[in-house]
Amino acid sequence: MEISPDTQILYQWGDWRLNATVAFTWVVMGVLVVGSWAITARLSEGETVSRWQMFLEVIVETIRAQIAEVGAETPDRFLPFVGTLFLFIAMANLLAIIPGFQPPTGSLSTTAALAICVLMAVPLFTIARDGLGHFLRGYIRPTPLMLPFNIIAEASRTVALAIRLYGNVMSGTVIAGILVSIAPFFFPVLLQLLGLLTGFVQAYIFAILAMVYIASASRTRGGTDGTPPDSKGD
Amino acid sequence: MQLDWLTVSAQIVNFLVLVWLLQRFLYRPITNAMRRREERVEARLSEAKATRAQAEDAARQLAQEQAGLEERQDEILEAAREEAKALRQRLEDEVRDEMEARREVWRQNLAEERAELVASLQRQAGHQVLRVVERVLADYAGTDLAGRVVEHFTERLEALDKETRDKLAEAARTQDRTALVQTSTVIESAARARLTRAIHETLSTDIEVDYHEDPRMIFGVRLTIGDHFLEWSAVRYLDRLEAEFGEIIETASLARGRGGQGERATT
Repeated sequence: MEISPDTQILYQWGDWRLNATVAFTWVVMGVLVVGSWAITARLSEGETVSRWQMFLEVIVETIRAQIAEVGAETPDRFLPFVGTLFLFIAMANLLAIIPGFQPPTGSLSTTAALAICVLMAVPLFTIARDGLGHFLRGYIRPTPLMLPFNIIAEASRTVALAIRLYGNVMSGTVIAGILVSIAPFFFPVLLQLLGLLTGFVQAYIFAILAMVYIASASRTRGGTDGTPPDSKGD
Repeated sequence: MQLDWLTVSAQIVNFLVLVWLLQRFLYRPITNAMRRREERVEARLSEAKATRAQAEDAARQLAQEQAGLEERQDEILEAAREEAKALRQRLEDEVRDEMEARREVWRQNLAEERAELVASLQRQAGHQVLRVVERVLADYAGTDLAGRVVEHFTERLEALDKETRDKLAEAARTQDRTALVQTSTVIESAARARLTRAIHETLSTDIEVDYHEDPRMIFGVRLTIGDHFLEWSAVRYLDRLEAEFGEIIETASLARGRGGQGERATT
């Protein structure tokens, strides 16, 4: 039983191997970019707006509203990063209902990569806003004794994020595989539907958590809020 | 389960590329379009608000103007009524004054005409009386009336005061001692002789007396010596009568004219 698409080599050229994770990631990227381009190429600014443009506007506006709800005062700063996290994961999980498609989110490499991106994004957003010195001083607060614990908190947060997404997506695939072997009719369909729902929930949770981390990090670094970053979970 | 770090790094790159692509093709165009639409909507809303405010202002102003007009309408009507009343009053007064003036003129004219008529009637009556008296005197002049006239003249001559007598005598001396006696008709010789005697006795005995007839005298005798003359003539009476007539008529017509102004003309 194939668990990770990483091991599935689709094409090999010398030392370069194209595994299924990267290939399906490209597919997801292609669908997102081409779909966006096809719609945004004919944008209307008047009263009559096409249905697809409305659809995209609703998505973008919802993401902005969610970011603002989490506490970011300027949603547009975080929109590209958080929005892409959500759209990528959601699209990957959505395309999983297509037979033969293996969601790249089911690979620990992908989820780890996304988690690392979040890990890097948190300090980068803080530094971009407050400066490097301010960011580094945050690690020795309230006392320099807290330095190791702060570092551990950052690392564990990233690992938790990665494992959570990977586990959820992979478990869905694994459960589907097991159920198909036990009850080949009807049940898989229901599970696929459930998988769509959990896929969206995962995308939402991942994006919101990333935003929470960024927002809380900038808040704690800014010293305006004492809430521990890890107090929120799924 | 192990991590393929090559795949992880490839996925990181893939994700970053996707972030850039979506920022390029999705977020920026969509947010720009939305922002522009919002701006347009905002602009239109504010425009509509401004237009509405203008319209409300205009409506309020119009309502005020209308109220003002209604208020002023009453005032204007009242003023026009007052003006019309005043005009009517003035016209009536003017007409009344004009009629009064015309009536006054007419009354004056009437009174003047009446006075003139009366005066003319009186004048004619006076003249007629005079004519009648003249006719009567002329008719009877030829009779012994002439003798009586001479006799009367003689009596008057004799009754003259001394001053007049001296004056006449002095005049006779300077005028070659001639005297002229003019009568309206031929007088008898006896009457002549008596008159001549009376002249001689009264003035001077050496005065030569010429007798002469003058029909214009109508009735009477005139004695002329040089620049002085003594006369008794009906013409004098008649002249005096005419003068008195004239005076009477004048005063009567004046009194009538004055009294006629106050009373209505009656025919």
